[in-house]
Amino acid sequence: MRSPYGARRLALGLFAFLLAALFLFPGQSQGLLEYLDGPVGQLVRLPLEAVSSLDQGISNMWQQYVALQSVEDENHRLRQEIEWLRGQNNQLREAASATQRLTALLQFKEQALPTMIAAQVIGRDASNRYKSVIVNKGDSDGIQKDMGVITPSGVVGRVVKTTGATSVVLLVTDPNNAIAGLIQRTRDEGIVEGTLQGRAKLKYIPMLSAVKEGDYVVTSGLVGGFPRGLAIGTITGISREEGALFQTAELAPEVDVNHVEEVLIIQAPHGQSVDAATKPDGTGRSQP
Amino acid sequence: MKFLLYGGLVLLLVPVQTTLLPHVAVWGIKPDLGLVVAAVVGLVAGELEGLLVGLAIGWVLNLYSAGDLWLSLVTTAGAGLFAGLLGRQVAQVTPTILAIGLLFLSMAGGLVAVLSMKNSTLSDTWWMVQSVVVPQACFDAVLGAGLLWVLGQRFMLQRLGTFDPYS
Repeated sequence: MRSPYGARRLALGLFAFLLAALFLFPGQSQGLLEYLDGPVGQLVRLPLEAVSSLDQGISNMWQQYVALQSVEDENHRLRQEIEWLRGQNNQLREAASATQRLTALLQFKEQALPTMIAAQVIGRDASNRYKSVIVNKGDSDGIQKDMGVITPSGVVGRVVKTTGATSVVLLVTDPNNAIAGLIQRTRDEGIVEGTLQGRAKLKYIPMLSAVKEGDYVVTSGLVGGFPRGLAIGTITGISREEGALFQTAELAPEVDVNHVEEVLIIQAPHGQSVDAATKPDGTGRSQP
Repeated sequence: MKFLLYGGLVLLLVPVQTTLLPHVAVWGIKPDLGLVVAAVVGLVAGELEGLLVGLAIGWVLNLYSAGDLWLSLVTTAGAGLFAGLLGRQVAQVTPTILAIGLLFLSMAGGLVAVLSMKNSTLSDTWWMVQSVVVPQACFDAVLGAGLLWVLGQRFMLQRLGTFDPYS
């Protein structure tokens, strides 16, 4: 039997070795562990998906049978919203056909549709310090780091980590995220970042920009895994500090990222093949 | 046998931490079950097993987090190691003692994480400490004490020797 002092020395030695390896050779030591990410990810997939589907089932049962108290009010409100959206849809259809005619007239090249893959949210970040979700598509489904993630309503975030069967999506409301944005009305560009309070802000808006509350912010499509024109959020406040070079605007994200359940991962933002989009030689997408 | 037990524990921790615990989050804060389990293993089975199980938990949980790997490894393995050392130094390890130990360990890990955040101002750091680090440390402490109390009720914790839930 090993003496407690021997075990203590061994444990302290191992811990010191670990610290030294992580601080002296961060790339190599983390790269070594990344080789094992795939198989371990596949192993963890089984209990994770089992618990997630159980959780989803209970949640569905609750929503469909128990929490029905406000359904009538909601139904009435949604019918009104549909009527309003129908009207708006007719106007937009008119505008789209006019745009199509003008595009043909000016011989603009049509923008190809992005290639996307659907995924289900099966968990939230394991820690409290990051705002991210876990989706059930990974390396084996062709998902790679920095791919954009959306819902039909707008931008959700981008992929920051993948295993064989799952991916971690850093949400648009996380302060570590940065997405190139564009104010739809004024066409001024900026960078959308999350805030600690779980909202978002648009930074680096030019001082001369006539941005105002209620303006929509969309993706600019210049960098990152998003095509141009996807909704990010609505401006709710603007701060102009004296002597500053830029303005900053507060954003209310278009997607309620805390309750998102299904997402679309953009594999190729401009419709090119996945291989071309992810080539490291710079012929595909740009890397942030 | 022990290896399988620890393997199963690590695999089970992932769905519990990522899928079930968000439902019991208070003001958006959920406990770090990985840190608590590593500390309890360290306390019950010794510092070496605490360190190794902490390393495994830190690594696997980090696959499902946007955070840095080194931070997850160091905090979780450190919790297992220090809890093991604490178990040898303290004459009577009760749930209260573990709660105090976990409070400090979780605070230390949280502070390291907050201070290593890039582009954060002093007000951001302060906000993170009071809104995330301190509540999570309290949550971890309560969970750890509860877990040790339950273990003490069910099993005779030989290594701790002096912990008797009926005393």
